[in-house]
Amino acid sequence: MSEKKQQVSRRQFLNYTLTGVGGFMAAGMLAPMVRFAIDPVLQPASTGDYQAVAQLEDITNEPQRFDWTIDQIDAWYESEVTKSAWVYKDDNDEIIALSPVCKHLGCFVSWAGSDEHPDQFYCPCHDGRYYKDGVNVPGTPPAAALDEFEYKTEDGTLYLGKAKPRGA
Amino acid sequence: MKWQKEDIDQYQGAEEFVDTLLIPLMPITMNSKKDIKKLAFQGDLLNFFANEIEKQFKGRIFLIPTYSYYESNESENEVERLNNWVNQLTKNPFKHVFFLTFDHHWKKDERNLDGNLLWFPAIQTEEIDSKQTQPILKDQITQINELIRSYW
Repeated sequence: MSEKKQQVSRRQFLNYTLTGVGGFMAAGMLAPMVRFAIDPVLQPASTGDYQAVAQLEDITNEPQRFDWTIDQIDAWYESEVTKSAWVYKDDNDEIIALSPVCKHLGCFVSWAGSDEHPDQFYCPCHDGRYYKDGVNVPGTPPAAALDEFEYKTEDGTLYLGKAKPRGA
Repeated sequence: MKWQKEDIDQYQGAEEFVDTLLIPLMPITMNSKKDIKKLAFQGDLLNFFANEIEKQFKGRIFLIPTYSYYESNESENEVERLNNWVNQLTKNPFKHVFFLTFDHHWKKDERNLDGNLLWFPAIQTEEIDSKQTQPILKDQITQINELIRSYW
């Protein structure tokens, strides 16, 4: 009789409670570790942000320099940084946004910066030159093409993202 | 190039390309309230100018940490000390030396300096970052850049 009433024996009851409590303790220890491990995946991508730089109607076939500022957050240190790009439309009406930073030693290049080469980008520091598409002129100091910004357009505004090295 | 590790790494191996020194000269004082404010603002302006110029010509100009001195009318000692500085620095192959300052005291000792003095009257304004001031400063910097390029 008493066996039928007691569906859970004392031994079973102890087993269940110990397994339950042990399980909670294990979960309590593992949960933060798992959260730490996958944390980078859950972070919003802050570097891929696009910034409004120019109106599409202002962009011509001639490269123009556009400046904009971004809030650069370096750990706890936040600062405003001015960025620049040379922007134009190529023959297929595709927008090209080139970084002005010379690939030689990091000076700022400018379009038609030299009277002798009115259709090239020119670096005043060591006479580095780039063709209109950003490719370096052989025989001048730079060893690579100018970086190109990722871009997107929305409602007649040009947004620029990160500058990416060419051919990468 | 600036006086920081990252830039020094790049500088070593490219020494022959970096042939120009830029030394900002910044007077300091603690005497009168009016002068403190004025000189501190000129200090801000000087940092802004120096950093902008360095940014444009990173690959050719080495921006030396600011040379600071106590403001006084006896500038002979400073000229000597500054020339010593420059002589030490130019043991490396630097061809051009520029001093950037808003302090007019240097102007009358210009010919005794071992380098080119770039003295400019500072604009009087409260805000460097304001929308009105920025275009003026940018324009001034462009003109200074052209001046430096004319020496190269």
